[in-house]
Amino acid sequence: MQNRLSLYMFSSILLLMLLAAVSLYMGVYVFEKYSFAELIKGVIANDNTISDSDRFVIMGLRLPRISMAILIGSGLAVSGTCLQGMFKNPLATPDLIGITSGASLFAALAIVLGSAIKPYIPEVLHFSLLSIMAFLGALLTMMLVYRISTTNGKTNVIIMLLSGVAITALGFSITGFLIYISKEEQLRDLTFWNLGSLAAATWTKNAILAVIITISYIFLINKGKALNAMMLGERDAQHLGIPVERIKKQIVLFTALMVGTSVAFAGTISFVGLIVPYILRLIFKSNYHIILPLSAILGSVLLLAADTISRTIAAPAEVPIGILTAFMGAPIFIAILIRNRKSM
Amino acid sequence: MLKAHKISYSQRKFTILEDIDVSVNHGELLAIVGPNGAGKSTLLSLLANEMDKNDATIFFKRKTFEEWDDKELPRHKAKFSQSNSNDIPLSVKDVVMMGRYPYFHATPHKQDNEAVTKAMQETDVEVLAQRDYNSLSGGEKQRVHLARVLAQLDNEVANKLVFLDEPLNNLDVLHQHRILHTIKNFTGRGNTAIIVLHDLNLAAQFADSIMLMKKGKIVSHDVPDKVFTREIISGVYNFPCTVCPNPVNKNPLIIFGT
Repeated sequence: MQNRLSLYMFSSILLLMLLAAVSLYMGVYVFEKYSFAELIKGVIANDNTISDSDRFVIMGLRLPRISMAILIGSGLAVSGTCLQGMFKNPLATPDLIGITSGASLFAALAIVLGSAIKPYIPEVLHFSLLSIMAFLGALLTMMLVYRISTTNGKTNVIIMLLSGVAITALGFSITGFLIYISKEEQLRDLTFWNLGSLAAATWTKNAILAVIITISYIFLINKGKALNAMMLGERDAQHLGIPVERIKKQIVLFTALMVGTSVAFAGTISFVGLIVPYILRLIFKSNYHIILPLSAILGSVLLLAADTISRTIAAPAEVPIGILTAFMGAPIFIAILIRNRKSM
Repeated sequence: MLKAHKISYSQRKFTILEDIDVSVNHGELLAIVGPNGAGKSTLLSLLANEMDKNDATIFFKRKTFEEWDDKELPRHKAKFSQSNSNDIPLSVKDVVMMGRYPYFHATPHKQDNEAVTKAMQETDVEVLAQRDYNSLSGGEKQRVHLARVLAQLDNEVANKLVFLDEPLNNLDVLHQHRILHTIKNFTGRGNTAIIVLHDLNLAAQFADSIMLMKKGKIVSHDVPDKVFTREIISGVYNFPCTVCPNPVNKNPLIIFGT
């Protein structure tokens, strides 16, 4: 089992690297030097072997964006997989149960009301206000949805999805109101939230994302066995020595962190947490021991591919990435509904 | 082995269990029997440490469950539950392998695979190993979970304890007897089993002692010969019966409706 997993991990990482290399060359700007090795060598050596404009496009535009796609795609896919394990349902994803909405609602509040409360909070927090608010929004929504939809460890799927609908509606109305009262600059930021884009990628944001995702993965990525056991029911999992309550708290906390930060930096990119585990389940059934680590890589592959398409398909203009992921995700959502209609 | 004194349990002021004393020894096979709603499953749940709110202290190998190490406990005790999940999109072998989760970190060792194979042979699900769990019948699923529980307790630890809540539901005669023989072998090696059963004749044939319950109380707790008498059984079940010695093995044989 482990050898098989290593093989799959290795080949999907290879796929991701290949895709990243291809993505580096995609775009309106064409590098003067064409060899990949020369470009990378030139950037690392910093010895003027490549032109300043080439350097800027690589280091200032494409690489940060590629890195952000890899980080956010991975984080969203793992969040989706963990939530599905916790709610024991393939429809439990950050967007469908309203966590993304909760996060973007709080982010919108931070944008519009931020200028008013900024004098009262410490200066170091100014920069991270947005991500902290998005994290709080995600955490609060998740706790609310879990409380409403789950009794005695059993989740009522309909209640879970409907509370997601309710929270999304609330978020929509409040964001709409905020758009109505906001100034022009805030308006641009708000529109960015609703559509989702990786265009605002910077190395600072990537560093924050990388730290948060690394910490989350230390706790979450080895929970495959535990999530498998939880399919037996929470009591039976406990008889196998699985600390169910502690694991659920970790999942709630770290998925809120990952989803919150992703929303803060890239807006609402929906359905990544639905598409990736769905595809993996088709191949590996629901063996979380395999699909949890693989979703970390394939999430990156999916989002990087989607982002590369989004910035090249209508070049020089950009299609918001949320449109692409929703286009892929919605049919899968319907497919899951059809498959599970008997058990709902 | 396992001792509990004055267990009581109530839900919304409705008493389910009242002042129950339990004590089981090494190598004992205890069957809990009684009519519906007697509190058998609740008692088993409490003894297996599934419920938080219970005032009585339960001592397993002279330690309370709080004093036990969470990683160590699954090697000493296991439970087969009545309400098994019917949606586990995995292969049968993967489900049985869950019983070995306390023993390996990421990759199953050789002895884990061996324990799984052996457990699947004992419950006769080896031929189903690669099948989808979700495609099995109720009785087959039941046997898969029994295999999982057996695999969990396949280790060198002495004096293990297994709880089984109606393990024979949905099983045909052959498998009922096969499972009970497996459990009897298990207790024969110094381990203990506590089983909730409905079939009194099977209980009489296999159990070392019987705990007969009604409405949250123990009516009688003794060897099968003492518990299975005409007066006690017809009184508790509120149904006429005759008790005579089984012509083959001399255990009490209960014939209802006579």
